[in-house]
Amino acid sequence: MSSSSRVHHFKLVLLGDTAVGKSCLVVRFVRDEFFEFQEPTIGAAFLTQTVQLDDSTVKFEIWDTAGQERYRSLAPMYYRGAAAAIVVYDITNPDSFTGAKSWVKELQRRGDPNVVIALAGNKADLDSRRKVEFEEANAYAEENGILHLETSAKNANNVKSLFVEIAGKLPKNPPQQEREAFPLMPAQQESRSCC
Amino acid sequence: MDGHQQVPTFAVLPPPAHQQQAQQQQHYAMQAAPPPTPQPQPLQHKYSSTAWNLARKAHLDNRMLTTKTTDVETEDGRISNVEAAEKIKDAWMYKQIRARRDEFTHYRQAMLFIGSWNVNAKGKEESLDSWICADWGPNGEYAPDLVAVGFQEIVDLNAVNVAVDNKTQQRSQFWVERLMATLNSPHNTRNDPNRQYFLLQQKSMVGLLVCVFCKAPHKDRVRYINSTAVGVGVMGMLGNKGGVAVRVQFYDSTLCFLCTHLAAHRENVTGRNQDFANVFNKSLFEIGEEATREAIYSGSMSHWEIGATSVNVIDHDLIFWLGDLNYRIDESMPTDKVLEYAETGKFAEMRKLDQLNVERAHGRAFEGFEEGVIQFPPTYKYQPGTDGYDKRPEKKLRAPAWCDRILWMALEPAHVQQLTYNRSEQPNVSDHKAVYSTMKITIKDVVRPKRAAIHNELMKLLDRFENQTLPMVGLDRVNLDFGEIHYDRSKSMPIQITNTGNVVAKYRFVPKLDENTLCKPWIKVEPPYGLIIPGDQPATINVTITVDRHTAQLLNQGREVLDDILILRLENGRDYYITIKAAYARSCFGMSVDELVMYSDPIRNVPLDPIKRAEKYDPNPSNALCVPKELWRLIDAIFEKGLQEPDLFVDPGDPEDVKKIRECLDTGAPFGQYKTLSYAEALLEFFSSLSIPIVPPTLFPTLEIDSQNIQSSARRFLEELPPVHYNVLLYVISFFREALVYRERNRLTAAKLARICSNHMAPPSSGMDDSTAAQRRSGMQLIMVHLLETNSI
Repeated sequence: MSSSSRVHHFKLVLLGDTAVGKSCLVVRFVRDEFFEFQEPTIGAAFLTQTVQLDDSTVKFEIWDTAGQERYRSLAPMYYRGAAAAIVVYDITNPDSFTGAKSWVKELQRRGDPNVVIALAGNKADLDSRRKVEFEEANAYAEENGILHLETSAKNANNVKSLFVEIAGKLPKNPPQQEREAFPLMPAQQESRSCC
Repeated sequence: MDGHQQVPTFAVLPPPAHQQQAQQQQHYAMQAAPPPTPQPQPLQHKYSSTAWNLARKAHLDNRMLTTKTTDVETEDGRISNVEAAEKIKDAWMYKQIRARRDEFTHYRQAMLFIGSWNVNAKGKEESLDSWICADWGPNGEYAPDLVAVGFQEIVDLNAVNVAVDNKTQQRSQFWVERLMATLNSPHNTRNDPNRQYFLLQQKSMVGLLVCVFCKAPHKDRVRYINSTAVGVGVMGMLGNKGGVAVRVQFYDSTLCFLCTHLAAHRENVTGRNQDFANVFNKSLFEIGEEATREAIYSGSMSHWEIGATSVNVIDHDLIFWLGDLNYRIDESMPTDKVLEYAETGKFAEMRKLDQLNVERAHGRAFEGFEEGVIQFPPTYKYQPGTDGYDKRPEKKLRAPAWCDRILWMALEPAHVQQLTYNRSEQPNVSDHKAVYSTMKITIKDVVRPKRAAIHNELMKLLDRFENQTLPMVGLDRVNLDFGEIHYDRSKSMPIQITNTGNVVAKYRFVPKLDENTLCKPWIKVEPPYGLIIPGDQPATINVTITVDRHTAQLLNQGREVLDDILILRLENGRDYYITIKAAYARSCFGMSVDELVMYSDPIRNVPLDPIKRAEKYDPNPSNALCVPKELWRLIDAIFEKGLQEPDLFVDPGDPEDVKKIRECLDTGAPFGQYKTLSYAEALLEFFSSLSIPIVPPTLFPTLEIDSQNIQSSARRFLEELPPVHYNVLLYVISFFREALVYRERNRLTAAKLARICSNHMAPPSSGMDDSTAAQRRSGMQLIMVHLLETNSI
């Protein structure tokens, strides 16, 4: 199975309006739990989770950000340098979809140029209260060349797939540069003299 | 089958032992070829798996975990090596996965045929059927899945052949083709492609050749085929003696076949033991990292070998050792006795004195290997072309010996079951008879999705621990609303921080992205960093906010608001946000006189928000006051209290009084009983706090002031003052002149007052260089003195 067990580390950030279920998605993915009344994230929560692909291992370092509007200006701190971003909206809340689009736009403008973006329509279990049509979001995602899935942190639907799909899209070759956080070797300063 | 690849049919296993018993007796007889029906033999399990494990362990002990990167010492003196840590983790994972191998492994049974023959440089067209196909059954129903055949002396071991090795390739080709022809004869294949064999690999060195064949249906399940040769002959390296070996991964088991020719001569047991050890230790297969990883995964290689690109003999599930090992019957048995026993089938006596059996029993060679009990006559030394031992008078009489042997070593002893161990009477062109053995081997077939699921589960477990060891704290509040905050009156709120995690929590406040201060300047956090041990009492972080002159000015100008977010960061952990909020209780301090004259209401009632303010007040300059009412109230209060107070404007007042006076000014409340000096200090502070000074630095005289130009300079200065500033200045100067009337009592002088005016009403500008600025300020001071001393302005 794994011809190479090299673990690839990637920073992943969750963005999106308040109460769309960012933390719930992370808790479902990492601990396989769900809390109906997840407290709002005041700050940025950090967790790690490994995903095994057919041919490699991907370790996500996940930053789950605060969705409340007043913290919005702090988000760049977390999406800066992120290899992947999950932009979450609530399928029962059209405003959150508008918000998601503005997050995508912000990422495209100010994020890493190669950032892998996934748009996640969460709370898919509340289909009867749906206000954002799958097709609409999907068309938007296709237009922007980003992943799109509808997820349910509550019933775990598509949560793992979401992360696995992202892991699959992340570049593993050539080997990524050693991340700053784990310096293995002191950076060699090559001095070239010219005459 | 869990989406698993379809498994080809394996060789049909022979009928159980009891059906064969009738023929067993015949089998021992030294007659024509034994019946081709395989029969189980009791195995000599002398070498337990414990012994085997010991052998393997000796091989692995004290192996260093090698990494491509070197250890890095961080600034805090910690030494780390991410690669090593990763390898250790991998090793742990592999170990766990192996421990659960039964959950994802199908164990399948396959038939393996092994043959060995010292051909004595002979060989033409004689049939190999009775040897190679000995155990195939009447209709080939037991045809094996794998065939491994070893030859010795395919060329004469003369000096030329040993040194040049030029005939070997041609002779190897000859033997491989003959084996192929035998295996794939029309009789055997019967036009069924599934009965075809194909060559996996051949390897030769001088007289040695080993070749491994596989039956067609398994073709896709053989991987990482590799071979090697080790010479231990002349000078310890030439190929007249030594070994050739082929290794493969068959399904998910690793198999190694070694064909060796060890040192000759009856007395040279030590030489043979050494040759064995050398071949065993020196055989190395460069199979690459992917293949070693497979071997580690499937369990035949230590999990500490991660990253290795080569495997040793020991790193295989199943090791088969065949060849002319050259061990004889111990010399304590005379040659004629050996001959007699050999010819009459008294093998038990001979087995006791068989050198290989003796050496193995003493652990001096082939430790951990197993061999079936030999029930066939010695295979050496025959008169070529006959079925009799070579007793020709012109030749040296040699004691018959079991030179030709087949041994094995299995990681799981139960995974090899020897069904036959025999010799073939035909062909008889060599001075050796060929030997063979059919074995039922158990091989592993991994259901990869199941193994991946276990892998995943283990990773999740590790992640869980990792996440549990992230630092965590609890904060009793993250929203700090300070309510009303007054000018120059600090307010503090504590935050209780508790370590709720399992590890030491190191916290610090960090600036926001692209900023270089922790927070806005009116906030002070104490302590800004700290460490809390799990289970410790909560620590207190005090957040203090103060609106000083500068902040008040910014607030009044609408360039600042009293809210901010602090970021509390845990080392190696998450961030917490603390929101700070306060409402500024407006003060006349920190405003400008131009603004103050616009409002006759107490300034506290004038909203900061320009829109709300506009709703309430009509900024009509014609309704403006002459001087700010706050100034008038202060001066009036001092005047009322009397200007005779000693050291007026020089000694400080009571700080509490000053705060209260300021509050009265801001709210319009009447003054209480305060000291004169407190009013005086409030007055001077009021001037200092103004966002635009009464005397802006731009109006400082540019000429050097002397008695000639002082009057004109003073006039020009007054003319240039903005109207409200002019009013204020004249009002203050008049008041100070009045104060000078009482100079005997209050000890004031014009120079003193001029300096006070200059300090509080004419602060230095920041833009000019020091000497010029000082000169212009002293000029300003001279003008002040002039104004204070002149009766008419």
